Amino acid sequence: MAQPFPYTYYACDCFDSNTPLASKRASQLLEEDERDLDPHNPRSNYALYPLEQLLYCEDCQQIRCPRCVAEETINWYCPSCLFEVPSSVVKSDGNRCTRNCFNCPVCTSPMTTNSLDTSGENGAPFILACPYCKWSTVEIGIEMEKSTGISAQLARIANGGRPIPTQKERDKERERKKEMESRRREKDAISPTQDSPTTDGGRDAGNAPSHDDLFSNLSAFYKSQIDTQSPSNPFSQSDINFSSPSAYSRIMSMYSSNSRKHKRNKPAAPRDAGSVLEGFSIHDPSTDAQAIERIKREGWSITLEPSQRLAQTNPNIRFSDDLRPLATLLCTKRSKRCRSCRHILSKPESKITSTRYKIKLLALNHIPRISMRALPPQFAQPASTSNTPFNYNALKSGIPTQFLLHLSNPLFDPIRVTLATPSLTPGRVQSRVTILCPQFEVGANTDVWDDALASSLSPIKHSAHDSGQIEAGKIWDRGRNWTSVVVEVVPGFLNDNNNATGGDDGDDTLNYDEDVLEIPIFVRLEFEADVNVEERGLGDSRGSKGEREKREEAFWTVVGVGRIAEMAL
Amino acid sequence: MSRPAARRPAPKGEYIETDSGNKVSRRSAITGTANITLGGRTVIMADVVLRGDLHSTRPVPSSSGKDVTPTSISIGRCTVISTGSVIKPPCKISRGQTHYYPIKISDNVFVGPNCTISAISISSHVHIGANVVIQPFVIIKENVKILPNTVVPANMIIASGSVVGGQPARVVGEVGEGWGVSGGGSGGGLGVGGGGEEKWVEGGDLRELVRSIK
Repeated sequence: MAQPFPYTYYACDCFDSNTPLASKRASQLLEEDERDLDPHNPRSNYALYPLEQLLYCEDCQQIRCPRCVAEETINWYCPSCLFEVPSSVVKSDGNRCTRNCFNCPVCTSPMTTNSLDTSGENGAPFILACPYCKWSTVEIGIEMEKSTGISAQLARIANGGRPIPTQKERDKERERKKEMESRRREKDAISPTQDSPTTDGGRDAGNAPSHDDLFSNLSAFYKSQIDTQSPSNPFSQSDINFSSPSAYSRIMSMYSSNSRKHKRNKPAAPRDAGSVLEGFSIHDPSTDAQAIERIKREGWSITLEPSQRLAQTNPNIRFSDDLRPLATLLCTKRSKRCRSCRHILSKPESKITSTRYKIKLLALNHIPRISMRALPPQFAQPASTSNTPFNYNALKSGIPTQFLLHLSNPLFDPIRVTLATPSLTPGRVQSRVTILCPQFEVGANTDVWDDALASSLSPIKHSAHDSGQIEAGKIWDRGRNWTSVVVEVVPGFLNDNNNATGGDDGDDTLNYDEDVLEIPIFVRLEFEADVNVEERGLGDSRGSKGEREKREEAFWTVVGVGRIAEMAL
Repeated sequence: MSRPAARRPAPKGEYIETDSGNKVSRRSAITGTANITLGGRTVIMADVVLRGDLHSTRPVPSSSGKDVTPTSISIGRCTVISTGSVIKPPCKISRGQTHYYPIKISDNVFVGPNCTISAISISSHVHIGANVVIQPFVIIKENVKILPNTVVPANMIIASGSVVGGQPARVVGEVGEGWGVSGGGSGGGLGVGGGGEEKWVEGGDLRELVRSIK
């Protein structure tokens, strides 16, 4: 998600420190440590997060990003009807809403149930219609009798209004066909005739089995295969029901390693499906030819976009009249754990409608917030009195620009901050960055009233008169729990990358977003905190009182200042 | 909307402030004021159109026997409606008649500039970017971020904690756990998060923003 300038991202080094790459020699490790973070490195995409998305593990005393937390699903719910779906239903029916929630297969917006009744009584028949792109189930020939239980009704109606056989009917039909086939084979064996294969072929071409038919045939075939396998199993004497595939696979997995040596008769190798009734279908080139003919006749408009096709439950369809309304995908509520110490970092309340959290350990409450703003113009350029807001999307190359780096402290202890930044930003457009005061202190996050009462921390007065004095080594301004310092940036030139960086690939054109000025800043905090702050109140608070320990925190941040404007030639 | 032809220069600043702290721009176009409730400390910026005249025409069963003025737009506390946005109650045509339904916007909702809003309900701590169109009867739950230039299709329900974008809108992500948390009292000084120059956080308490608007 692109954020408006200026923004700050925080780097979580979890991935780089956990990879086998990290187990290198100490000298190399040191080198790795001293390497500057390059925000334009493709890998940085996966390490940089806005502060709001980060959690903080108080036991590990480290930032936890979405990559270094383990998620556990608390419950499933439909985002459209906001009903909770029990996990048993999710297992049996899949991760889609089984109520009345459907999305348009063309544009994904939620569909509404409309009545086609013209008498004004809002009676049957009903259709699903998309309020956004006006697609409706009329286009695929589906009308329903009731306005409720839509997914159950849709499961029975195929496109064009034909009924879809239920599982039971399918099984019965398959048995009937199988019987017919075996009878015919017997007949063929007795008196072979020439015409029987041709009639068979003609009948099959008439109604090619649907995707669902084939699937149910195949699953029935595999079930029968497991059944035929189980009697030859040496453990078939016991009273466990081997026809159940789960019991079979469980026992197979239990004994598969050592059952080989006392297997008396080797079971027949499971064969593959060999006929349509067993779920086997041979690709018929004539269907392709038909499809091409159809596209020739009706044009590209009847074909589907890849995204539309892939969203369908049967992704093999080609034409718009094969579309089916999509049942809404379910969402989950998840709790998050630290991957290394397994402590829970965030746990929402299990009720769907509740937005509260039982546990929420935010990085916001442990890591100072860093933000960058342009220095107000009356300080930067004494001559200009214009009130135009600073344009972050057009930084001027080569012109020194002052920014205020603002650091606010959420901790209840004062912190000493050391900032470091490479003097030239990495990447092909090199900008010169100077933090005028890289070492400073930030006050503790005490009661808001202290700010008003304390007279010692009077804010530094800046008037337009002393604007020339942006002194190096001095902070710009400070308050109760915040301090701001001036950063001077000389934005680089977009088109002199040939001599500066060598232009190694000989490619003069900038890649996407390479003109964005992003400054990597390494932040190091030092502070003294009470020992076992997190156990305060649990143990003997008097005993540990006064015991303070030194703590340190260090991390990379990336401040996106703005976009460097193209030089006017 | 027909505005007074000769627009006099506002003598006492841009905003009219009510007793409960609502700030309503003199340059906003509000119709049917009797049908609009503002919760307090709510900002209506310039060129905002509030269609309070489009209220429910169905007879309201009143207990005391006297006429009850139907509410068509109700806006909660600390909500900001930015310049050029239009808030129009959603309507349905049934049996040849147009029926309007009341629109409810909750607390701490930020509506960006040039939006068109016809939702039926917007819950608290929702951030709506610029140029967003929300079609009729949309329900937006708490802690939702709607990215700029999104078109939310009619009747869509946006579950809490979603980030929504696109035309038509679809859920593209989740807001982080820190959504709307202002980070241990950011105190004075400069702003945080994506809040531009001001001292406020998207989806957070908008009181500071409301205070800064003069």
